[in-house]
Amino acid sequence: MMLSRQVIEPNNPAFDQSQQFGLLLSPAVRGGDFVFLSGMAAIDPATGAPAHGTVAAETRQILTNIGELLEAAGSSLAKVVKVNVLIYSMLEYENMNSVFREFFPTDPPARTVCGVKLIGGHKVEIECIALA
Amino acid sequence: MTDRLPRSVIEPVNPKLNVSRNANLPHSPGIRVGDYIFLSGMGPVDPVTSGRNLGTIAEQIRQTLRNMAHMLESAGSGLDRIVKMTVVLADAADYDEMNRVWGEFFPTDPPARTTCALQLSNGNGVEIECIALAGQSPS
Repeated sequence: MMLSRQVIEPNNPAFDQSQQFGLLLSPAVRGGDFVFLSGMAAIDPATGAPAHGTVAAETRQILTNIGELLEAAGSSLAKVVKVNVLIYSMLEYENMNSVFREFFPTDPPARTVCGVKLIGGHKVEIECIALA
Repeated sequence: MTDRLPRSVIEPVNPKLNVSRNANLPHSPGIRVGDYIFLSGMGPVDPVTSGRNLGTIAEQIRQTLRNMAHMLESAGSGLDRIVKMTVVLADAADYDEMNRVWGEFFPTDPPARTTCALQLSNGNGVEIECIALAGQSPS
């Protein structure tokens, strides 16, 4: 029995970067019982425009949006198993962590964080794998 | 219920593309666990000479994606079974060019994707890894 592959359409079209910016990527793809999310930058859920801010503000916006996107896929933040956080400067590590604790107060997901050069002037980008 | 998922190593049919073996690197080209396939980060390797195929960034991305297709097909899967990709560029300025090339390989229902820029080995302009589902698309 082969696993099925299904592109997830977000309930809020603002989260669909392929629609917003003409990019050939899906916001999320379900494969079997896992949901794989594209790296998400801070997007204003009302307009779909980039929501540049502090690392804390961007992290909060991204995790809020990820929660909504996961729910559109029948999952939720509580079902996230692995997170990768890309951050423009590791000097901001604790500013990201403080917001992370708000969203994952108990049994948080596995996580990797690294400092990289991000596209589009964002300070934070987050991707994750969750259970469907 | 207590059955453990089987784990096996994925290797390309073309030995010239088996970078980890050819360069004696301590990683596998890919691993299949259950019905999921996890590929190592791949670069623009020439499938005839096994040397680096360092042309324009567009050519490097095309070669890398062709190699990825070969690797997945070697395991009975294919590009259209990819669920998630991570693209690492040496230069963030190549982002738009990467998006143009993407249309040649993933015109519909593209995989989820994350892109960032960081320092790469061997002078590569790009490195790409993916998670795919085993088996071929039903269509």
